[in-house]
Amino acid sequence: MSIEEQYRTRAKELLSGGAVKMVIGYSKGSNASRRRPLFISSPDDVDRLVLDDACIQNLSGYLVSEGLLSDEKRVAVFLRPEGIRAINILAAESQLDAEQIVVFGFDVIGNEVQALKVIHVEEFSDVINSIKERAPEAAEEELFERIEKMSPKERFSFWQEEFSKCIKCYACRQACPMCYCRRCIVDSNQPQWVNTSSHTLGNFEWNIVRAFHLSGRCVECGNCDRACPVNIPLRLINHRMAEEVLGAFDHFAGTSKTQEPVLASFKKDDSETFIL
Amino acid sequence: MSETFEPEIIAFVCTYCTYAGADLAGTSRLKYAPNVRIIRLPCTGRISPMFILKALQKGADGVLISGCHPGDCHFTHGNYHARRRWMVFRALLDFIGIPPERVKYSWISAAEGVKFAEFINTVTEDIRKLGPFEQYTQLIEQTQAPASL
Amino acid sequence: MTKILFRDKLDKCVKQWKSDGLTVIGPVQRANISTYAAVDHAAEFDFDLVLPDRSIKDLFFPQSEPMLRYTIKKESINTDECLPPSGPRIIFGARPCDASGMAIDDPLFGWDYKDEYWFQRRNESVIVTIACTKADDFCMCTSLKMAPDSSKGSDILLRPLAGNNGWQVEELTDRGREAFKTISDLLQESADTAASLAVVEKKFDLDACVAWLQNPENFESRFWKEISMRCIGCASCTYLCPTCHCFDIQDEGDTYTGIRRKNWDSCSFALFTMHTSGHNPRSTQSARWRQRIMHKFNYFPGKFSVNSCSGCGRCSRQCPVDMGITETLQEISTLSL
Repeated sequence: MSIEEQYRTRAKELLSGGAVKMVIGYSKGSNASRRRPLFISSPDDVDRLVLDDACIQNLSGYLVSEGLLSDEKRVAVFLRPEGIRAINILAAESQLDAEQIVVFGFDVIGNEVQALKVIHVEEFSDVINSIKERAPEAAEEELFERIEKMSPKERFSFWQEEFSKCIKCYACRQACPMCYCRRCIVDSNQPQWVNTSSHTLGNFEWNIVRAFHLSGRCVECGNCDRACPVNIPLRLINHRMAEEVLGAFDHFAGTSKTQEPVLASFKKDDSETFIL
Repeated sequence: MSETFEPEIIAFVCTYCTYAGADLAGTSRLKYAPNVRIIRLPCTGRISPMFILKALQKGADGVLISGCHPGDCHFTHGNYHARRRWMVFRALLDFIGIPPERVKYSWISAAEGVKFAEFINTVTEDIRKLGPFEQYTQLIEQTQAPASL
Repeated sequence: MTKILFRDKLDKCVKQWKSDGLTVIGPVQRANISTYAAVDHAAEFDFDLVLPDRSIKDLFFPQSEPMLRYTIKKESINTDECLPPSGPRIIFGARPCDASGMAIDDPLFGWDYKDEYWFQRRNESVIVTIACTKADDFCMCTSLKMAPDSSKGSDILLRPLAGNNGWQVEELTDRGREAFKTISDLLQESADTAASLAVVEKKFDLDACVAWLQNPENFESRFWKEISMRCIGCASCTYLCPTCHCFDIQDEGDTYTGIRRKNWDSCSFALFTMHTSGHNPRSTQSARWRQRIMHKFNYFPGKFSVNSCSGCGRCSRQCPVDMGITETLQEISTLSL
């Protein structure tokens, strides 16, 4: 039985037995290469679930939709390892109770979909630790290294060109499971910290603030990068930040639901070579 | 003769240590560079990276940040939190191409009036050497210009 | 025999237009995105795109535009108005859906208050549209009762030749004729036939959808909640849309000096309708998506007798969660049966 079928069967069992009130998964999209999020609450609909290598969106962000988990009922969700890390962070930041989440874990290696056999968020630590070592995609790595090698001036120009395309549609924010604030700093106007204008200066501001708020929290699922309608390589910035917290504080975000958020904790002997 | 570039620098300091240190520098009649505008905050933990960005965005050539030495925080650990944030923020600025040398950090206690005066002088000199932050200035000017098309 | 503009003459045309004082704008690939931008040479154009990622709306209604600068002193308040840049321009190689999008928005921007920023640019622009010979899965002009060679909003319509080496020229307006007068020597009479137009499948019955939307009973239909469950509430559909036109006016600066800007805004955002009290009349994403659809196919045509959609399909093409107008109207057509 394919993983897709196994998961359909399990979804049917869970829904008909009332163990979960909803399954969040993927269905066919508007063309052959697309998959879209699917929310089902009736066991009759499980055949609409699709699971293949095109299922790339991290669905964990839907779990913090207003009111979804407030009735304390369980929800099942299809997640790749990045999505499970996201759940851990959301739990660590008290945004959800991991007990309420039933995971339909899967991973895509090459073009092949593999099932992750466990169900509860806390059982995934081996999987999470294994992706810590996973090499980034070659194309991404190449651009990342090219940027790192640039002089600060060149780097600035690179990002200036990229950020000049930004239209402040906030798709990056909305697609991100970590951007759950009911009122984002850019939506606050008393005082207005971040301008709403999408001129390049304002775009620098927004993109820096976004990246900073995700530092040590980003699981590099790539939702922001794929959501960006103007193709800004946002993932690279997040990757740089992840690299920094790993190097400086040995922090790999989302390893467990009790992990302390890296920027909300400290060690007395944290490095301070840059402080005069 | 070309005029020397006078950088505009914004300092965010904690009220318990560095601000008191600045006071001491003043009452001790120490002379230091007049390029710095000081903004007093309750704690370095209160200095959001947003402030630093905002200063640069309003045309500052440099930003300096200072507070109590580790262990001396009035709120016991505000400065430890701040230190982590700065570490990450510096890496971010660097990756975006905003030279981290434009943002300087230090610990200055209420007793270190001399260190304060010296710090201001060194930073002013360093930023003067870096020159105006032209790339950012250009972006600021763009916001004042009419639409291009 | 028809008038033909051969591709190898295009660079000379660009030169001629530039020497006539026109800014020449067209579809280009830049920094990993396709958009319309000013060019110096014909070689910069990319005519192979089905449709650029960004619409020509950007050229008439930019994402952020200064309106006035202000300085406030003790005794006086000075304002200095910023008008859009003036000077004629030619947009070469727009798509029919983009060009018609501008015509759709004209009545909106000229309705009670005549928006100078829009009309100055409209009056100074010649839109040269190239009919489509290619379409992708998201194109839906035919469902909106338009076609890959619709001439609405265009000053000149070009039909690609079967040999892909030029275009048949159809002059539609005086403004178009004027711009093409100076390059008339570069045009040739020839019998070359036009390439066949893109086949764009009809995806929904627009009239049935409109009738369903106009029925007040359907305003509270469960359908809205179901269809928009996955909507993440970003503004990429509205900002890429050639006809979405909402904006916000913001003062950027401080108590003494600053600049007033007109920035795009979007009905997808919760903040769009948030009251000062904290109450939000469109408190859910489904209410916001309903608003977008209702506005485009019910309220806007109610006022201006035209749907506020030109069928470019960008909303669906770029949606991070694979939603869009196409799917919504397809679903509505099945509901209204």
